[in-house]
Amino acid sequence: MKKIGILAKKEIMEILRDKKTLIIMIVMPMLLYPTLLIGLSLGMAMIMQSQMENAHTVGYRVGDEAYVDLLKDIYEENKEELDFELIWEPMESGGADAQLWFAEDADGIHMKVTYSSTDQGSDYTEGALAELAELYREKLLRANLAQEGLTEDFLYPVTYKSEDSASASESMGFNLGGSIGMLLITMILLGAFYPAVDVTTGEKERGTLETLLTLPVTNFQMIMSKYISVSLFACVTAVVSVISLGGSVLFLMFGLPAELSGEMGQIPVGTFLSYIPMLLAAVVATAMLITAICMCFCIFAKSTKEANNYMTPIMLVIMFASMIGMIPTVTLDYKMSLIPLVNVSLLIKQVLAQQVNWVIAGITILVNIGYSVIAIWVIARMYDSEDILFTDGFHSFRVLQKRSDIRPGTIPATGDLLMSIAILLLGMIYIGNIVGARSLFAGTVVNQIMILAMPLLITWYMKSDVKKLFHVNAPKGKPVIGSLIFYVGIYLIVILASAFLSMLFKESAQNVGDTFNVLVQQPIPLVVLVIAVMPAIGEELMFRGLIYGSLRSKFNAGRAILISSLIFGLFHMSLVKLIPTALLGACLAIVVEKGGSIFVSMLLHFINNFISVIGLCYPEALEKVLPFLNRDSFSVAEAGIMLVVAAVCITAGYALLTHPQRARGETAAK
Amino acid sequence: MIEAFNLCKQFERSVRKGRKTVKEEFFAVRDVSLRADSGEIVGILGPNGAGKTTLLRMLGMLMTPTSGEIKMTDVSGKRIDTLTEKKGAIGYLSGNTKLYPRFSIREYLQFLGKLYELSAEESDKRVKEIIRVLNMDSFADNQIGKLSTGQTQRASIARCLMAYPELYILDEPTLGLDILSADAIIRFMKEQKENGKTVLYSTHYLEEAEVLCDRIYMICDGRIAAEGTPAQLKERTGSANLREAFHAVYDSASAAEN
Repeated sequence: MKKIGILAKKEIMEILRDKKTLIIMIVMPMLLYPTLLIGLSLGMAMIMQSQMENAHTVGYRVGDEAYVDLLKDIYEENKEELDFELIWEPMESGGADAQLWFAEDADGIHMKVTYSSTDQGSDYTEGALAELAELYREKLLRANLAQEGLTEDFLYPVTYKSEDSASASESMGFNLGGSIGMLLITMILLGAFYPAVDVTTGEKERGTLETLLTLPVTNFQMIMSKYISVSLFACVTAVVSVISLGGSVLFLMFGLPAELSGEMGQIPVGTFLSYIPMLLAAVVATAMLITAICMCFCIFAKSTKEANNYMTPIMLVIMFASMIGMIPTVTLDYKMSLIPLVNVSLLIKQVLAQQVNWVIAGITILVNIGYSVIAIWVIARMYDSEDILFTDGFHSFRVLQKRSDIRPGTIPATGDLLMSIAILLLGMIYIGNIVGARSLFAGTVVNQIMILAMPLLITWYMKSDVKKLFHVNAPKGKPVIGSLIFYVGIYLIVILASAFLSMLFKESAQNVGDTFNVLVQQPIPLVVLVIAVMPAIGEELMFRGLIYGSLRSKFNAGRAILISSLIFGLFHMSLVKLIPTALLGACLAIVVEKGGSIFVSMLLHFINNFISVIGLCYPEALEKVLPFLNRDSFSVAEAGIMLVVAAVCITAGYALLTHPQRARGETAAK
Repeated sequence: MIEAFNLCKQFERSVRKGRKTVKEEFFAVRDVSLRADSGEIVGILGPNGAGKTTLLRMLGMLMTPTSGEIKMTDVSGKRIDTLTEKKGAIGYLSGNTKLYPRFSIREYLQFLGKLYELSAEESDKRVKEIIRVLNMDSFADNQIGKLSTGQTQRASIARCLMAYPELYILDEPTLGLDILSADAIIRFMKEQKENGKTVLYSTHYLEEAEVLCDRIYMICDGRIAAEGTPAQLKERTGSANLREAFHAVYDSASAAEN
């Protein structure tokens, strides 16, 4: 720990002495926000003001003086309300900001204006004339009504009035929130980017990495010190940004004349102050995650130029994620709070709209920290690799090689798995959600196709031994029966866990139910195909095939089961379903490990999802056969009985599952 | 003292075969056993690409061997076991171990002192002594990035010295230096030998190796092609000097290859 501190201090000194980094990290945010915010709003205000102050000319045809005089009279009458000034000039063509024609026939008076929408002054004059015309029309109407002896009720039998319950500052926060979140994430990214390149690639490029390796420090200490110093810089940038942003807003509120600051003057400073600790925590978590992502990719680069090339797509993805906060319909719920970076952008929007849900805010922060820990673990592992330190280091991303360079039978490495999961998740978030917005059913189909395609594509590209990697073996009788019994036990525990969890997170559980209700409106065979058959094949190939198979070639069974089932749980992007799904994933992985055949896990996965389909389509029928399935609360006695049954099933099933394996081992030994 | 048994290091390289690029495994170092005792300067000679740097990197604990074992003991004969302890007992220097250009020598040495867990006084004392011994007073506070080649190399030596290591592993330490700087380095190695330290070094300057080394290992294609004292090597090949001996060894090694 002490050594990490010493190393981190050195890294910080090293970064601090690079003036370019300092400029990007501190000077830029300090200048950027005031320039953007104050400059823009001042500029806008000044343009508005100059438009108001400037008199605009309206040209009219000689002979229309009578009409023009009428309009002038109306202007004089309503002078108090109108904030423009017009100069009337008789002219036929050109010169004026807008040209006005009058015509009168049996239908009434016709006014025609020619103007140019691309010319500010002309556009403004048109608006002014439209206002005048409206007043003119009302004046004539009122005169006509009076003539007929009618009141205004005759014209407006229905009146409509609306009132926004959100205060001006709340609605402004909602509208601004997304873009401020994006700015903040961008600033953190800029703050993390240069130091991240400097401490990883820069170290390689300057040739000091090998020197560092000769020192009596472990690689973990080395990478942690680098990580800590870079995240520190990212945080500093973020905090400087926040201060600079806050300062600019304060300046707008108090430093400007009231009519220019407009609605800004109503922001309740006190409310925001109470959010500051939470915002800071969110900023720190974001900085940690972005730093980890940046370093993950910079490690591969041999030169800063290469690092820049790697970082460009990463920056685009991060910027894109942060922009999601700007979409007005997207708000932070349990599901969104699991998507890193997007959730921070949404959280900031919530804060500015003053609608903070503290539980979700907490989850958001923890989720980002969680992802950072995973990323740091990945970096620490990669930094232990000589390939990365001394050569180009593409060994943990085998899939990035040309296919002709890949040897047959290659097993996907950790980097390949991470990449395939990331691509799948992105595909599901963006493609799946976009299709799903039109038809939830179609979205589910698209997701399932992507899940199926990913393991097939990767194993094809990497020329992996599919039979071995995916455990493609004919199922044997005893293990199949064992698996079934084992699964029943696990399933009981899954039911209990789900019931317990939906008590804790009511809202999110409701959400999951709604999605399924929409799905089952399709014809039953289709529902079975999409919810039961396709996941059974696709998800098994992906999680028990590609992921478990690749992990198993590297780790022992226990670790591989743990990691693959956690990934399986996280993949379902639902807090309530995380633990039950992970349990199920572990069960299926054990079945593949001990039973030796992926077909058995496919069968179990099918049964599992099929029961859900039946439960949704024929709840009454299922209620009769398996009364405990759809309940969401159990008494202690019921839970106890279920636990005992589950324990018996798990033990018996596991025994049956492992038994034949041992027997086979013995015959082989003989 | 350092002792290596049957060290191997395997790498992958891309080989162009007709139209296709094929990945191929090859041994940069194969089955190398060697030892260097306290109070001894051991030279590693060999053409470029023979595997000298890989071998020295493994001995310097920067790379893990694919197979084989390395044992280290200090002057008193006590085993040095953990990786961190081994790294702490080795002064490793190569063309690739550059120093932080934005630090001054003094700052850098003080940073090392903290890492080697020296007390503040001890560290200060050592830094002053090293700067005096290597005659670096005039530039000890300049940024390392602005120093000349010879000054930088002296700074690198200072870095190795800071740990008071048992073993020096120097990969071509005199490469590209002027006569004065090179002589300073040679003098430094002799001093360390007299202090009972172990020095393992690679070089292309055969005349230098001939006078300096107690024993020499000649490496060819990842293997040890010959070993012995300079006198033994000359005698065995019937050569007048080490340069001729070197040619004789490599001619017979490549003849054996074909």
